[in-house]
Amino acid sequence: MCLWFVKLKGVEALSRSSSNIAIVESSQIVYEGLVNILIKSHQHYQLYRFDSIEEISATRINCKIDVIIVNPSLIQFNSKDCNTLKRINSSVHWVALVYSFYGKDILSQFDEIIQISDTSESINQNLSKLINSTPVEIESSQKEQLSERETDVLVQLVHGLSNKEIADKLNISIHTVMSHRKNISQKTGIKSQSGLTIYAISNKIISLDSLAL
Amino acid sequence: MYTIQRTYVKHEMKMAGLIFENPTLLLMMEHFDLGISSIQDKSIQQICTDNGISLQVYISFANLYNGFIPTGDEFKSKDELLSIIKFLSRSHQYYKNEKYPEIRGYISQLYANNEAEIIKLIEKFFDEYFSEVLEHLGYEDSIAFPYFNAIIESSIRVSTADNPFSANDYREHHTDIESKLFELKNLFIKHLSLKGDRSIHRKLLYSLFELEHDLNIHSLIEDTILVPLVREIERSRGIV
Repeated sequence: MCLWFVKLKGVEALSRSSSNIAIVESSQIVYEGLVNILIKSHQHYQLYRFDSIEEISATRINCKIDVIIVNPSLIQFNSKDCNTLKRINSSVHWVALVYSFYGKDILSQFDEIIQISDTSESINQNLSKLINSTPVEIESSQKEQLSERETDVLVQLVHGLSNKEIADKLNISIHTVMSHRKNISQKTGIKSQSGLTIYAISNKIISLDSLAL
Repeated sequence: MYTIQRTYVKHEMKMAGLIFENPTLLLMMEHFDLGISSIQDKSIQQICTDNGISLQVYISFANLYNGFIPTGDEFKSKDELLSIIKFLSRSHQYYKNEKYPEIRGYISQLYANNEAEIIKLIEKFFDEYFSEVLEHLGYEDSIAFPYFNAIIESSIRVSTADNPFSANDYREHHTDIESKLFELKNLFIKHLSLKGDRSIHRKLLYSLFELEHDLNIHSLIEDTILVPLVREIERSRGIV
C-alpha cells in the first residue's frame, strides 16, 4: 500500500505550494553545498535527506515527493528499488547529481543532470523548469474585492436570510445566490455566518446598528 | 526563501538532536507524557524503553511531526493501538486546558486598542467555535475512545445497533474544526486591521498556528491511522 498520491489534509496544510525534494547523497560537503544553492533559489522547497533509495521506498514517506536528486553511484547496483519507485510514483522527476564518470545508459534514465561544475544559477534554473513542467493546480489569484452583487448577497446573508429569501429579495435565482456565496467564501476565506458578519462590519459594509444582535 | 530540512527519525537517533531541529517534538513528547528531563543524552529507543512507550508508535509520530506521514499499517498490536488512543486523549488536555484558554486570553487583550463591538463579535465567534471543539473532544473522550478501547481490549462482539460510533461524523467534525480555525486566521490577518500592541497580535497568531499544526496532526492520526484500524478490527469480527 502506498499513499503517495492520497491528498491528506494535514500534509496539504504543512506543505502546500512547496516542492518536496528528496536528496540522496552520501558526501556531507556535496550535500550541504547543494542545499545552500537550493536555498539561494528563493523557491519554496522542502528538502529531505535520505541515505539510500531503499530508504525512500522503505519508509514510504507519503508527503508527495516531486524531485529526487540522487548520486548515480548509489543506485547503479540497485536499479530494482529505483524502478519500483518509478513505477509507484511516475510523476517524480529524477535528477542525477554527477561528479564522476557514468555511462550514457545510466544517465539517460534521469530527467535532468546536475554536474558538480554547474553554476548555482543553471542548477536552479533547470530545477525550476523541471518542476514547473508538471501541470500544477494553479491557485486563482483573482482579486479579493467583492463585486457589487456579491456585496448585496453578503449583506442579506449577514442579516440571516436564507438562500431562497435572498433570491426573492434580489430577484435572482437560487443558483445564482449559491454561486455568489461560493465566490464570497473563496475571496474572503470565510464561510460561516458569524465570520462573515465580522468581515462585513470591519470592512464597513454594514453597521453594527443595522444588526439586531 | 524558505527551507525546512528535517530528518527521517530512526530508533538509534538522539532525541536532543531532533529537538534542536524541530522543537515541536517537545509538544509531541508531552502528549506521550514525557517532559524535558527525559531527554538528556538518550536515544529514542532508550527513551521508549525507560518509559514503557511503544517504539513503533513513537517513531511514527515523531516522523509525523517532522512531516512524514505514516501509512498506519505498521501498527498491529493491541498495546500500540491503546497507546495511540492515550496519546490522543492527552492532546485533548492540551487543547482544552492550555491552547484555547491562551488564545481566548489574547483576544480579550485586544479590547484595549480596538473597537469593543468588533472584539465582542470575535469573542462570540471564538466561544462558539470553542464550544464546538469541546463538544467534539467530549464525544471522543466519552464515546469514541471508550468504544475503541473496548473493541481493542476484548474480543466481544458488538452488534451494529449498539455501535455508537460513526467514522463519517468523526471526519466531518474535524473538517468543521479546521475550517473555523482557517476563518479566524483569515479574519485576523487579512480583514481586521487590528490596532495596538503588536506583540499581542503576533502571540495570538502564533498560538493559532501552533494549535492548527497540532490539530492537523491529531486528525491525521485519527482519520488515517486509528479509524481505519478500528474498522479493520470491526470487519474481522463481523461487526460492520
